[in-house]
Formats: sequence, C-alpha cells, structure tokens
Amino acid sequence: MFEKSLYDLIKGLRGHKGGENEYIQSSLRECKAEIKTQDMDKKATALLKLIYLEMFGYDMSWASFHVLEVMSSAKYLQKRVGYLGAVQSFRPDTEVLMLATNLLKKDIVTSSIPNMSLPLITLPHIITPSLAMSLLPDLLSRLSHSSPVVRKKTVVCLYRLALVYPEALKLAWPKIKDHLMDDQEDGSVTTAAINVVCELGWRRPHDFLPLAPRFFELLVDSGNNWMAIKLIKLFATLTPLEPRLTRKLLRPLTNIIQTTSAMSLLYECINGIIQGGILDGEENLQERDEVATLCVGKLRGMIVMDSDPNLKYVALLALNRIVATHPTLVSMQQDVIMDCLDDADVSIRLQALELAAGMVSSDSLQLVVNRLLDQLQRASVPAAEFVESPESPNAPTLWPSDYQTDVIHRILDLCSQKNYSEILDFEWYVAVLVQLVGLLPPLESEDDWAHPKEQEAIPNVRMNAALRIGTEIRNVAVRVKGVRMEATRAAESLIFVDNRSTFFPSGSTIGDGVLGPIAWVVGEYAEYLLSPNGTLMSLIDISNASLPSRTLPLFLQAIPKVFVQISQTSQQGDFWKSEMSLLLARVVEFLEVLAAHPDLDVQERAIEFLEVLRLAAEALTSDSQEIPFLLAEVIPNLFTGLELNPVATSAQRKVVLPDSLRLEEAFNHDLPGLFHNLESLSSYESKSWETSDFYHLPELSSPNKQGRDLALVDLQPHASYQNFTDAPVESSTAVQRRMLERRERFKDDPFYIAPSGESSGMSTPFHEALNTSNGEVLDIDSIPIVDLKLGNEKLSHVDFDRQRSRRIPVGKLVVAGDETFETPISLTDTSRPKGTGDDHPTYKRSLLQVDSSSLGNLPLAKGPYPQVSADEGDAEMARAMQQVEEVRLRMQRASERIQLEGTPAEGTLVKKKKKTKKHIASDGDVGTVTEKLAESAIGKKKKRKKKAQESEKLPGEN
Amino acid sequence: MINAVLVFNNNGQPRLTKFYTQLDTQTQQSLIAQIYRLVAQRPASACNFLPLPPLLSQGASSSASGPSDAPTQITYRTYATLSFIMISTSTESPLALIDLIQVFVEALDRMFENVCELDLIFGYETMHAVLGEMIVGGVVVETHIEKIIAGVRAQEGALGKKKAVQAASTSLGRGALPGLGAWR
Repeated sequence: MFEKSLYDLIKGLRGHKGGENEYIQSSLRECKAEIKTQDMDKKATALLKLIYLEMFGYDMSWASFHVLEVMSSAKYLQKRVGYLGAVQSFRPDTEVLMLATNLLKKDIVTSSIPNMSLPLITLPHIITPSLAMSLLPDLLSRLSHSSPVVRKKTVVCLYRLALVYPEALKLAWPKIKDHLMDDQEDGSVTTAAINVVCELGWRRPHDFLPLAPRFFELLVDSGNNWMAIKLIKLFATLTPLEPRLTRKLLRPLTNIIQTTSAMSLLYECINGIIQGGILDGEENLQERDEVATLCVGKLRGMIVMDSDPNLKYVALLALNRIVATHPTLVSMQQDVIMDCLDDADVSIRLQALELAAGMVSSDSLQLVVNRLLDQLQRASVPAAEFVESPESPNAPTLWPSDYQTDVIHRILDLCSQKNYSEILDFEWYVAVLVQLVGLLPPLESEDDWAHPKEQEAIPNVRMNAALRIGTEIRNVAVRVKGVRMEATRAAESLIFVDNRSTFFPSGSTIGDGVLGPIAWVVGEYAEYLLSPNGTLMSLIDISNASLPSRTLPLFLQAIPKVFVQISQTSQQGDFWKSEMSLLLARVVEFLEVLAAHPDLDVQERAIEFLEVLRLAAEALTSDSQEIPFLLAEVIPNLFTGLELNPVATSAQRKVVLPDSLRLEEAFNHDLPGLFHNLESLSSYESKSWETSDFYHLPELSSPNKQGRDLALVDLQPHASYQNFTDAPVESSTAVQRRMLERRERFKDDPFYIAPSGESSGMSTPFHEALNTSNGEVLDIDSIPIVDLKLGNEKLSHVDFDRQRSRRIPVGKLVVAGDETFETPISLTDTSRPKGTGDDHPTYKRSLLQVDSSSLGNLPLAKGPYPQVSADEGDAEMARAMQQVEEVRLRMQRASERIQLEGTPAEGTLVKKKKKTKKHIASDGDVGTVTEKLAESAIGKKKKRKKKAQESEKLPGEN
Repeated sequence: MINAVLVFNNNGQPRLTKFYTQLDTQTQQSLIAQIYRLVAQRPASACNFLPLPPLLSQGASSSASGPSDAPTQITYRTYATLSFIMISTSTESPLALIDLIQVFVEALDRMFENVCELDLIFGYETMHAVLGEMIVGGVVVETHIEKIIAGVRAQEGALGKKKAVQAASTSLGRGALPGLGAWR
C-alpha cells in the first residue's frame, strides 16, 4: 500500500472541487489507519495531514496520543511534525500531556539547537502548572546556553511559564535581569527580554523602576526601533510612579520625535508621552505645552501630509487621547479633523466622529453639527440615485445605514451633553431635530425595540435613533421653557398626517419611534399649538390605529388634552355646541376602534377616555345654553395641575421603601395551583363567554390581570365569576367597592389625582355631589396627594432647588435639570470601595486572553528567595508522578478499547456555519445527509465491513 | 502580546492558524469566519485596523485606556490573494505590527523565492517554522530577516526550497505577492 503525502492530499483536495467533504472524510479514514502503524514515517505523514485538515476545522483531538508518539521520534523532521501537532491540537483538557514530561525534559537539554527549540516554542501553548514545575530547572539552565537563539526563546518561554506558575518568575527574574544589564549580550536576547518586561511592566511597574536607568540607556543608544517602541511603551507605565522620570525622558523623546524617520517610532513616542501622563502634570508648564504643541503638530502632519490611511487612523487615535487633557490644542486642528469626517474609510470616519464629540465647545458645536447634517443629507440623496453605479468616482461612497444611525446618535450626544450646556441657540437645535427625522436611514434594525422601557431608564444605552430624536424634542420642550413654543410647533409639524409622508419617505415604520414622545408634547403643551384642530385631526387619523402599541398610549393621552384646548379656546357662540359635538363624535369614533386593541394598556386607556368623552357628548345634547360642567371643568381638570418637571432616573431608587411594603412576600403560596384552578374554570365557562363581552365589559376584573385580584380570589373562591354572573344586579355596589379600593390603593400615589379638596385645589361641587350621593363616609381631605415627608430624617429636605439654582449665564436659556433627592450616603454606589485593577481579574474574560493577573500579587523579593522546600517539592513531584501513572493507565485502557470497538470511521467536522449546512441539506442533498445519519446509527459490524471494503478498494486506486 | 496570527485567502480559506492560547476548534473556526467577514468588507484603500468582531468584543473592557490582558487590536494586511491577521493586546504598537507582518511576508518570500499562495499551501510546515522563529508564545523574539531565515534553514536545510520547486512545477500558475517593498 502506498500512502498519500501531504502534497498528494492537497493536490487531491484541489482536484475534488465540490466534493471536498467526501474526499476529506476518506482521507481522514486513511490517516486514522496510517497513524496506528508502527512505521514512524507513515505515522508522521498521517499526522501532518491531520494537522493540515485541523486548520479547516476537522477535529483531531482523538489523535493526541499519536502526537506524543511522533514527538518522541528520533528524526528531527518527524519530531517537528509531532511538536506542531501538539501546538495546533492540544487543548486544556488534553490529558496525555502528563506523559510528555520526560520527553520534554530530554528535548530541552539536548545538544542540537533545532531540537532544543522545539520544546521552547511549543511549551507556551501547552504549559500547565505541574508541567511548569517539573520543567523549570531545565529551562533555567538554558538561559545560560551559548547560543543567543536558545537564550531568547528561553526568556519568552519562562515568561509564559510564569503566567501559570508565578514561582517561576521569582527564580528566573534575576537571570533575565543579568542578561538585560549585560552590555555584551546579543541584541536579539535583549530585545526579547525587553518585550517580556514590557508585558510584565503594566502588571507590576514598581519592580522595574530600579531598572529605569538601563532602559533609558537602551532607548538612547541602541538604535533598534523595535526595541525603542517597546521601551517607550514600558516607560509610559513607569512615569506615573516616578515623576522625576518625566523630566529625564522629555528631552530624548522630543529628540526622537524631531529626528526619526520611522513613523511607528514617532507615533509611539507621542503615544508614550500621552499615556505616560507627561502632559498632565502641574509644574513647568512652559515645557509641557511645548511638547504638547509639538505632538499635536506632528499628528496633524500625519493626517495632512501622508495619504496613508493607517497614519491618519493612529493619529486620530492619539488625538482622541490628548483631547481629554488639551481640548483647546486639539480643537485648533479642527479643520483637518473635519476633513477626516468625510474620509472614505469608515474606521477613520468613526474615529474622527469620536474626536469631534470630544472637542466641541459652545462655539464650534453648530459648525460640527451642521457639517454632519450636510453629510447625512448628501448620503441620503445618492443612496437613492446612484444605486446602479456606486463606484462612480465623484459620488460619495455609499454608507452603511448603521453608520448613518451612528452619526445621528453622535449629533444627539453632542448636543445633549452636560444637560445641553453647550447649546446657545435652542431654536436651531429644534430645527436640527426636525431635519434629523427626515434623514433617518431606512432599514433601522428592529432589535432596539425589544425593551424600550428599560432603555429609556438607562440614558447611556443606545436607543433606537428615531425614538431618541422624539425624546430629544420632548426633553427640550420640558426643560427649556424659552423654546417650548417652538418645540411644540416642531412636534406639531411632525405629527401632521399630511407631513408624515414627506418626513418618513421610505416606509411608515421608521418614524414611529418619533411619534410617541411628540404626541406627548403636543398634548401636554397644547396651548402653544398653531392649529389645535389640525393636530387633533392628525391624532385621531384612522391610520394611527396601526401604530405600535408602545406609541398608542401616548396618542391616547394626547387626544383629550388637545380636545380640551380646542373646547376652551374656540369661540363660545351658537356654533360652539355643534362644533364640539362633531369633534367629539370623531374622537369617539377613533377611540372605539382602539377599545378593542389587543394591547391591554392601549385598551384600558382607550376605554377610559371613551367613557368620559361619551358622557361629555351626552352632556352637550341637553338644551341649556350653558357649557356643560363636565366639559368646562371636570375634563380640563384632569390635565391641569402641577407642571411636570424632569426627574432624575436615579431619584426613584433613593425613595426609602416604607416599612409596611413587603416586596418579598408571596401573594399566595399556592400560585400554580391557583392558576390551574382558574384555567380549568375558564375553560368550563368559556362557552358562555362571548368575545365581545370580554372587550366591552371593561368593569369586569379579569382574574389574571393583577396579582392583587388573585389574592381576593383566594379569600373568596370564584368571586370574580360570581361578580360576572351577578353583574347586572350587583354592579353598582361592586363598582363602588372597587372604586374605594382603588382610591385607597392609590392614595399615596402622586400620579393618581385623588378627589381631595385642599391639596390639589381642584375640589369641585361635582365631586362633592358625587360623594354625598354615594352616601359614603369618607374623609377625603385627609388623603394627601404627595406626601413629601417621607418619614425619614435624612430625606426630609428634598433638594429640588439645588439643580435649578445653578444659574446659567445671562443670554442663555434656562435648562431645567433633573430633579432628585439629596443622596443618603448609605444608598449610593460610591460607598462601594473602588476596586483596583487586580481586584476583578476574570469576571468577564475575553476570548484569546492570556490571564496574567496571578503575576500581580507575586513579590519579586530582592533578598534570599523563599525557595520551595525540598520536602514540599518531593511530595509535589510524587503526586505528579502518581497522576502521570494514572493517566497512562487510563490512556492504555482507552487505546485498548479503541482497538476493540473501533472509533467512528468519519472524522467529525466541527461545523463552521450551521445555517449554510442546513441550507445545503434543504437544497436536495437530503439524501446524503440522511445517509450519513443512517451510517452512524449502524453498528460496528457494518463499519468493519465497510473498512474492509475500502482497504480492498484502495490498492486498486493507487 | 500577540494573541493569534492568522492567514487566509480571499475566499476565507485558512492557510495558517496560530493561536497563542488554547482554544477549541469550533471557536477558532467561527473567529476566523468573523474576521474574514470584516476583512472582506474593506476596500483596498482602507486602513489596516479592524474593529473587534463580536466574539472578541464581548469580554473586552470598554475603558481601553490602560493595558489589559484582553486583545484589543486587530491588524491585517492583504498581499495579492492572502490576508495576514494579527490579533494583539494594547502592549503591541499597531504600526509596528504592520511592519511585523511585512517582515513575516518578506521572510517567507526569501524562503520560497518569490512567494505565492500555492507555495504557502504546500510549504505549510515551513510557514509554521518561520513564524516560530519570529514569535514564541505570543511574544516577538526576532525581527531581523537574516536571523529568521538562518533559523529556519538550520531546521530544514534545503527542504523548504524543494517544496517550492515542486509547487512551481504544477500547472496551477504562480503569481508573486506584489507590494512587498511598498510600505515603509
């Protein structure tokens, strides 16, 4: 039999276009057979092929034992294949590694340099603490090997050893330091040592401070740019600890910046100056500013002079770091940064955008935003026109819509930062917001809609752009009284049905997010509306009924508010009544549509207002010339009262919970059983339940609506159903009872307006009449609306005025801040101790991350090193040997089992993309897929048979 | 440190994968696929830095100011049909990494004499050897081309060249990687 070499495998792969998978499967089967032979050549070739296929995702973990066999080969090239196999295929759970200890020991101390290099470059990939412990002495001896090749690799290898076994660093560091201090040492070894120190440096900068003079020497004299870059990176972590270093470094760094031709070194110098905090200190300001100016000048040069996008990118990156400390210096470069905003490369544009956000001031804000707006406008036009020829030279490159969305978010970030403190002209801002609505990119991703309420609660989380624009308009209307009228009119223009097609050209769903907050604005500030009638018509346009159920409640709240506005402002003449009746009829018509809305919130609000307005319409039909009391007083009073002010999102959390509130206590301990009962009941009753009843009997307390009702149900079983059946008879008392309950429940809730006299100032004869007629003895006056005395001494003074008293300079409009309480210390987050970098090492570990946190706590004592005592070491060794023996036995048993049963003939392909697989299967390849499934289901007998067939077939092929 | 070195061609087929941490094969493959998607989107004129793909951005700390163990930079360079990718932490300089890729490619060019994708497919072991001379355990140990070449030659003598000659004899056509001397 003649085996395929790697060369043949690859050629075969290229020859089987389309049928690669089958070819690979058959190759894997061959490899499996070949790797079990005693012939080392065959074994190594088979392993090499497996490693090649592993690169494409074909698992080879089953071959780990054979990898060890090949590693132990006497021939160098075979050995190399074995080591490569170990690097590429060993995983943390590969157990055979324990068997390799002796082999690795032997190879580390071999006389041949290439042989010795193999374990040195392989160990970093496979090292474990126990392996590190047993190999450490051998590796340490390699540090003094005569060849620099061995020394440099050993230095790095020891570093990786130290990551899993920190003790190693304690023993290795003195030797590495000797190499570092030695002037005669080979340059490569020094560089490797510096690279390692640079990795260690940020973990434990204190240990390397004493070496600073040597580093300095290397930086100035070596002339090796690679090493200089690393040294500068290292110094950036050292200077914060030793301010005196700053002065020493300033000159050579400046020198390098001025003279070097290597852009990478120049960039790292500037970066080092920034990150090392050299620009941040207080003393000798003159020199610092000079350096800062020099840096910024050089960075500007990198952006302007070179057409290299990489330099542009890193320069912007560096400027982004400077902007925190020297915003004025950076904003002087505004012109070039602005040009980068138009760059063809998205990465550069995003960096420039971030930079723009960092450097804006009151003066430059309008400029920046207008420029971004221009960009958006240009982007949205060609998107439609240049679809056929996106490559045409002058047309701006087509931007992905997520970039456009990002720009919109940035504009809003820019303007709203620091509670709008940078905005001088709010009328301009309102105009910008209206413009932005028209520029919303199509294909807004729908993911953002998932939890809109939580997102609104956390301002940092990116909301849907449309929703955010709407929210901004609302914010401006609420916070800035000076432009409330303009904001309301802007909202009005957006809400007009006729305008909607122009503002949201590419489909109706995009702007839906805007409509919600805007509807609130037109309702709340209806007195500023230009045309209340038109607005009302737009609000009750029948097309609105299809809006998302999140937006509709806001519409529903706005409708009566605007209606009240109309009813109060329109002329009290003969036509007034008929006009109002007409309007009411229209509104009622719209509300009726929503009264059957599937969303409960929408339904509830619609029905509430529907009933109230029906009453109003009824009142209008009376003959008297007077305006019905309901329309003149009652309904308007629903919406007037205290002005709404912005409340800080954290304010709610600071309200101390009353003692009587028990959030932890279950309503009912047998909740599942309760639901079970209800379900069986409802299924029983459902025959008599008409759907229309469900929708049109709003007073019915639906049992699974509220937990509180469930508690009631528990006390008097089937109470709600009783109510239902007895409804016609009992309704009045039941309603009474429920009203009372409700009133009681919400008496402390500031958002429910209790019918009390003094506190709200809206007690009316109507209420009294109602109350007396009901015959209820209820001390309504004792129910406060807002109980500001929270019963807590600490909280007793509510700091509403703190924010407001922050007077903004004359000429600027007053922006209302968020209202919040004085913070009791015990409740704030600041009381939590600030963790240092080492305190939270792994709570969110990134992929590919090499954890070096264990190094941070290790003392690199300069005195006598606390050696691992001999006994301890021996015991450890014995334990390790025992483990090795165990694993060896297990492996042996496992390999015997394999011999008996035979592993599945197919190598398992680790799937890269499940979707495409499925797709292929559905395309008509179902046959092969099912075949495979069947194949794996068939017992070992058939497999053997198949193998036999194949081995018969193969010689013929070759 | 450098967390991974990847080479794949224009179709996303891997030509070299080297992860300096142990990672299961499935994750490796999906990471390669994600990075390939990012690289494939970029025009030739764009800069050589990639944003983090979803797999990597999960754990990365948002405060990128100080150094950390998490990889934060992805540098790539495309030569003809091949893209070379280096994933690294912030302790590496981005511009130096571009140079390092250049050194890697130049060293391969020296080993294979006018290197092309086919050479690297067939000279797969040699490519690993070259990388092994340059980077050990994610730390750069050598940037000097002569020394890298000498190290590889010491390992395999004329073997690497022999393979290249073999590959050249196939009729699949060779095109050298252009732009070798273009940068710097």
